[in-house]
Amino acid sequence: MPKRGRGIGFFLHWEWLLIVMIAAVYLFFGAQMPQNYTFVKLLNQTRVYMVDVGFMALGALLILIMGDIDISVAATAALSCTVMVVVYSEGNGAPFALALVCALATGAACGAFNGLLVTRFKELFPMIITLSTQTLYRGTAYIILKDQSSGNFPDWFNSGLGYGSVTILGLQVPYMLLCILSVFPIFYIWIHRTGSGRRLLSVGANITAARYSGIRTDRIKVTMFTLNGLLAAVAGIFLTARIGSVKYTIGTGYEMQAIAIAVLGGASTAGGKGSVVGVLLALILMTCLKNGLMLLFNDAFILNLAIGLLLIGIVLGPNLVRAVQNIRTLQRQRRQATTSITGGA
Amino acid sequence: MENKKKGRPLVTVFIKYRELGLLIILAVLIGIVGLRNSLFIKPSNLLFIVEDTSIMAILAAGMLCVLLVGSIDISISAIMALSAMVTGVIMRSFLTSTETVVIVDGVEKLVTLRESLPLALLVIIGVATGAAIGLVNGFLIAYGKVLPIVTTLGMQYIVYGLSHIVSNSTAVYRKDMSDAFFQFSRSSFLGINSKIWIMLGVYVLLFLFITYLRKGRWLYAVGSNAEAAQMRGIPVQRTIVMAHVVMGALAGLAGLLYASHDTKVTQDMASGYEMYVIAACVIGGVAVTGGAGKLQGVLLGALTIGVINNGLTMLRLTGNSEFWKKAIQGALILIAVISNVVLQRIMTRQSLARRNI
Repeated sequence: MPKRGRGIGFFLHWEWLLIVMIAAVYLFFGAQMPQNYTFVKLLNQTRVYMVDVGFMALGALLILIMGDIDISVAATAALSCTVMVVVYSEGNGAPFALALVCALATGAACGAFNGLLVTRFKELFPMIITLSTQTLYRGTAYIILKDQSSGNFPDWFNSGLGYGSVTILGLQVPYMLLCILSVFPIFYIWIHRTGSGRRLLSVGANITAARYSGIRTDRIKVTMFTLNGLLAAVAGIFLTARIGSVKYTIGTGYEMQAIAIAVLGGASTAGGKGSVVGVLLALILMTCLKNGLMLLFNDAFILNLAIGLLLIGIVLGPNLVRAVQNIRTLQRQRRQATTSITGGA
Repeated sequence: MENKKKGRPLVTVFIKYRELGLLIILAVLIGIVGLRNSLFIKPSNLLFIVEDTSIMAILAAGMLCVLLVGSIDISISAIMALSAMVTGVIMRSFLTSTETVVIVDGVEKLVTLRESLPLALLVIIGVATGAAIGLVNGFLIAYGKVLPIVTTLGMQYIVYGLSHIVSNSTAVYRKDMSDAFFQFSRSSFLGINSKIWIMLGVYVLLFLFITYLRKGRWLYAVGSNAEAAQMRGIPVQRTIVMAHVVMGALAGLAGLLYASHDTKVTQDMASGYEMYVIAACVIGGVAVTGGAGKLQGVLLGALTIGVINNGLTMLRLTGNSEFWKKAIQGALILIAVISNVVLQRIMTRQSLARRNI
């Protein structure tokens, strides 16, 4: 990349772009609705827009880094919650902790199944495999729960975890927000600072090269898919805590939101790229945007329209700037070449 | 050498016609369901399955073009909804209904005749809407260098939002549809439903285009090696845009058929349909990485999904099969996809073994 054109190059840095976007969105809605769109209220709304999708987005990040894609996460979350609700309310006295463990185990099993299929049948695009397992998992949840919703959880789970908050520096911070925020540093250190994270990135960048340099790519893939399933189960648990009941349709469409957030955060569906900080910033951006749009329009379709525009725009913008830069460099080089030729002659 | 001249073993036939493996899977599926419920293999029911699958088959043909150039489109269900909605809203605003008395079997009946713009114009509007969205998709992917999944995922959100805005959050019902539009998916010719005829027309045209026209061959060239295609002088970006326009136009057509068949257009019409279409293509042996795939295979893939969907109802597995249907559907699609892969692996191994001899 040429060193010139630094003014634009600064904004090409993804994280800065996201921070500028967050500031813009926050100031815009803050000016529109000074009463309703405040930091305190936004903090309270994070439990709706940030927590469950955030866990899924972290999982989507892992999968996207490897160059794969997983559409079955929301269905995995639904199946995990279903197992949890069945173990707790129909198991006659099974402790809630056991139900939670069962939910996590279900999520991990679903993820591992995806991973095994993806590594065993390499001719198939992961999208196709997770497409069919999505129907499979949600269908299984449908078989178990039928058409009804179920949920009768302990108090600490619903009103405590779901709607409780702790006062930090005079601000009401939801417990859920603390949970997800505590996960991000761990992921950051793991992916960007350890050898195992580096191996993960190398699998996505060039899987053949990674295999020839002694990395067990299949094992990493299966592990990541399992971890992704586990994160989906965690997301499902938080979703259940917030909603208070489980139906087989729980979390429909969340998989696309998770992928959208991971892509906004700088991950590429081609693999080998991704940043935990980017995902966190994208998550904050989405929270600010969704809350503002919901307050302004109160219409899910408008919300989705804006998210779609944002998703394409934020990926397209830097590409266009880069294309213009490339054309300019080419022109400059051409000019230099012609002047050197004519100058020599 | 003499061995070779004598006759070709069965395996070579399989290698030459890869769709045969799929045909076997399809036959086995039909056989299993037929054993359980003999009504299933009646010709009229098989024809019904084809009719029921025709919309998906039209979409799968478009998806083939997109997959061939190494792209993908998951916004097709949204495109279907938008083009049906645009057409529906225009149809509603031009609607004139007259009530006449018709004598049927000696009994007087009050019949409402609904007329609007001519059907051909409505179809053109719907197809053009779809093609326009496809054009945007193609431009973003080919010239904007945004990854296909990201583009079409975003477009899915945007287009569903657009159909919401266009309709002003109202739905289009039977009472807003002209009779010609209502009959669009119901009329029949030579005892075969119009949807099947339209599907056949699309397949014949597309087959001729892909097989015999230079621009059709470009699809394969771009998908198998874009750089080499560029060197050869093929306009890679324009070909990608063209594939997406074809997909969009076919999605528009399919959206109209779907709306006419369903007799209503809602804002989230056909959501989730794209997954079946992609699955149909993959079962049909289309490589998602681009450059490989045949129209025959895609048709068989779509029919396989159709047989799975219809067969499950006919199986009557449990008292309330509706609950089982979804899960089994997913499992069966997975099994069909995987068994196709396994069959192809065996074929490749056999052909390699033969070459060694």
